Amino acid sequence: MGMPLGLYLSVPFCRTKCTYCNFASDVFSRAVFDRYLDRVCADIHTTPESAGQMGARLERDADSVYLGGGTPTILDSHQLERLFVTVRQNFRLVPETEITVECAPGTLTPAVVETLLRCGVNRVSLGVQSFVDREAASVGRLHKRETVLDDIVRLRGAGISNINVDLIAGLPHQTAESWKESLESVIALGVPHVSVYMLEVDEDSRLGRELIAGGTKYHAHFVPDEELTAELYERACEQLNCAGITQYEISNFARGGFESRHNLKYWTREPYVGFGVDAHSMLKSASEEFAAVRFATADALEAYVAGASVQRTEVSRQAALEETFFLGLRLTRGVDLEQVRSEFGTGVVTALGAVLVDLASFGLIDWEGDWVRLTSRGRLVSNEVFERFLASGADAVMR
Amino acid sequence: MDAAYIRNFAIIAHIDHGKSTLADRLLELTGSLTAREMQAQVLDAMDLERERGITIKAHAVRMAYPAHDGKIYQLNLIDTPGHVDFSYEVSRSLASCEGALLVVDASQGVEAQTLANAYLAINHRLEIIPVINKIDLPSADIPRVKEMIEGAVGLDASDACLISAKTGQGVPDVLEVIVRRIPPPKGSPQRHLQALIFDSWFDPYRGVVVLARVFEGTLKKGQKIRLWSNGRVFQVETIGVLTPKPVEIEELVAGEVGFLIANIKNVADTKIGDTITDDERPAIEPLPGFEEIKPMVFAGLYTVDAHEHTQLREALEKLRLNDSSFFFEPESSVALGFGFRCGFLGLLHMEIIQERLEREYNLELITTAPGVRYKITLTDGSLIEVDNPSRWPDQSEIAKVEEPVILAVILTNEEFVGGILKLVEEKRGKQKSFEYVSGSRVMLQYELPLNEIVLDFYDRLKSVSRGYASLDYHLAGYWESPMVKLDILVAGDPVDALSLIVHRDFAYERGRALVSKMRELIPRQMFEVAIQAAVGAKIISRETVAAIRKNVLAKCYGGDITRKRKLLEKQKEGKRRMKRIGRVDIPQEAFLAVLKVGENSS
Repeated sequence: MGMPLGLYLSVPFCRTKCTYCNFASDVFSRAVFDRYLDRVCADIHTTPESAGQMGARLERDADSVYLGGGTPTILDSHQLERLFVTVRQNFRLVPETEITVECAPGTLTPAVVETLLRCGVNRVSLGVQSFVDREAASVGRLHKRETVLDDIVRLRGAGISNINVDLIAGLPHQTAESWKESLESVIALGVPHVSVYMLEVDEDSRLGRELIAGGTKYHAHFVPDEELTAELYERACEQLNCAGITQYEISNFARGGFESRHNLKYWTREPYVGFGVDAHSMLKSASEEFAAVRFATADALEAYVAGASVQRTEVSRQAALEETFFLGLRLTRGVDLEQVRSEFGTGVVTALGAVLVDLASFGLIDWEGDWVRLTSRGRLVSNEVFERFLASGADAVMR
Repeated sequence: MDAAYIRNFAIIAHIDHGKSTLADRLLELTGSLTAREMQAQVLDAMDLERERGITIKAHAVRMAYPAHDGKIYQLNLIDTPGHVDFSYEVSRSLASCEGALLVVDASQGVEAQTLANAYLAINHRLEIIPVINKIDLPSADIPRVKEMIEGAVGLDASDACLISAKTGQGVPDVLEVIVRRIPPPKGSPQRHLQALIFDSWFDPYRGVVVLARVFEGTLKKGQKIRLWSNGRVFQVETIGVLTPKPVEIEELVAGEVGFLIANIKNVADTKIGDTITDDERPAIEPLPGFEEIKPMVFAGLYTVDAHEHTQLREALEKLRLNDSSFFFEPESSVALGFGFRCGFLGLLHMEIIQERLEREYNLELITTAPGVRYKITLTDGSLIEVDNPSRWPDQSEIAKVEEPVILAVILTNEEFVGGILKLVEEKRGKQKSFEYVSGSRVMLQYELPLNEIVLDFYDRLKSVSRGYASLDYHLAGYWESPMVKLDILVAGDPVDALSLIVHRDFAYERGRALVSKMRELIPRQMFEVAIQAAVGAKIISRETVAAIRKNVLAKCYGGDITRKRKLLEKQKEGKRRMKRIGRVDIPQEAFLAVLKVGENSS
């Protein structure tokens, strides 16, 4: 019997598109929702066939369901229920399955909360980003600080206390003082899980493009510099850890026992299947030729609904080894070399010795016994560390 | 052919003054090419030549011209390279002629290149015919241009030909003037053979093709010839002329110009300026003026991708088949790996070679800063020549350094003189003359260290004169100068490819400029990186590249690991394209920065 699956359902609809968003979400007319759900539900029904075509092994058991977006709560109760019913018809959700829904503050009316409870949702992730109204407004969030506080009261009243709050360091207008306000607010709320992201500057978001172009649209000229953003992140790590919300991954903090089961699957390379637009899956291989297979649906809504084919990537043994490091090291506990040896062979760890020694000499990793983990500086420059585990040509340590 | 009916001539002009257009027009008028066969500028056959509007290789075209006196004349047009880098080749082409057309743009007037080549022609006692071109332009100022020809070149311009090569206006007269004013060649077909090689190239099907002017005797098919400088003997297989299509003939007699093919494998055997004589009946002495060509400018050439080193070697070998004036030998650099030290006739020559390597052979190159060859007297009295900073002796072993010096001729308008004087002073120039050649036109003659020219002199001159200055130069000897080696250290390690030889008084300024440029170009690393400039053990400048503060991917949208991997791979590939020195990754541009270092100091 293999590991139970994580199931991801993508709902790429929003009331407005935030300026920092580099995901496939967007504002679509409600007329599209049902057509989209038809397609998603059809895909859920045919998962075993699809997995077979991908050359992957598929379990029927799942222990996490994650409804992400987008803003899933933009769907009406009938639509939400339809999704969960379809999932339960096709997978067996084990007892105490973690069922998360991402919510935009202000969308959690009593009716929506009621629907979520009926669907079995037991965890809510709130895209707060900032408790300072001006900062949230500057990137297009529609809520105010008070909205968030009300939502949390309502959720707890309904019995959902497993709540995550997302924060972003590096938003326009943010300062050390305003960030302190957001951190203190989230600590005072007593939520058991916090995610802290740093603003990503790339060509895939409007704000990112404006920053690259050096313009002033989207408050881009009020975005803190790299130095300050890094400091804000460090401040968050310190304060959350002090408050007992312990860092367990580069961007994730939780009180003991509240770590997100779903997100951990990504970093520990446990199998998951995604449904909907730009949804990603990873399943173990059905054959010995390769270790696993990753596949992704189209990233444009029209193409997805029209039935565009999935992108399939085989994960070779070498690639799986690399992933073990560049995903596993994201976790505070790090990577267990003993486990790497047992999975990939002793020689592999020996071959990586030089890289590990080098990284340790730069103070980027701690290497104690069989465990390797990022230092706090290593976390901030983790891409530089991860890159070292990618083999290029002659560097490959295994076939 | 009776020599009385032969005219050998060259065309001298500044770039863009219309040399090639006039040549095309002459070919057309003499029926050598039909209008349909005309491709603009037939003689500049190489792509690079057409694009840049320059002539790199010499050519010789024979035309038949029925003159007004009722006789048919054989006109041999010897097209010469115009650039200063090739002044020796120009001098050999001119030596093959009895006359020259001096083409001057009616609105631009005399430029430095016109002048340098006109002086060369005067020294060769050529009959020079001034031709004022582009008279159809609204900005044409014929009286002023005549005044400049008389003032600057010292030629009588009163009966200059007035033409428009573009429209053809006045061109037929040029042919008549050639016949009337240029003297026929001397020499006798019966004497011992003396022919001058003024160009040669390698043809993959026929071997080396030699262009030659016969001064004495007769060159025949089947004849055994001997090359004077190396004594090598070859049997002539083919004799011919270019019309411009190659046409085979039986012989070339004294006074004539043409090509020969003699199963010669190596272009280095057929040195420009060498004398061809008969192996059985050799001449008593060679023709005058032969010199071994010596490279003047040196630089290291490396491939960006170390795996392409072999391809670079093969490409250099192929290029050298056709250009014996360029030299290369293997060298290795700690920073750049395996490459070649190359010697060039000048900067243009270097650029051409680089461009051909990149274009024709698809190589991506890194070129180190161009430098010159110094004569160094060591404290033990011995004399060495050094063109590579990495071979520069320790300062304590040096008794005396001499650097090559050029005599530069700069022509400009008086409004730009101030800026130019400042520039040449900054470049350690010594004034030789300053004179008005006409109205507001000024001619400056300066002695300048070649070392100061090779870095960025052209660009600087262009910018201070807004393009209204022309430059020509030739080697004028050596100066003793306090030259030192300037090293750039990255994280404590000297980067050999960035070392420069500079005048002691400039070391501080150059070092500072280079260090600050490097600070901009070297990306942040995992640790703080010190960039220093040093002369010997003394650090003269220092800047620091701060360590990377953050490089982290936070969000994981729905488990998209493929995107994360792609970003990491892209990052890794970016580093692979950099050169690693010690623990520091240095991008390619940093090595080019050294070429531009002077710009900051102005």
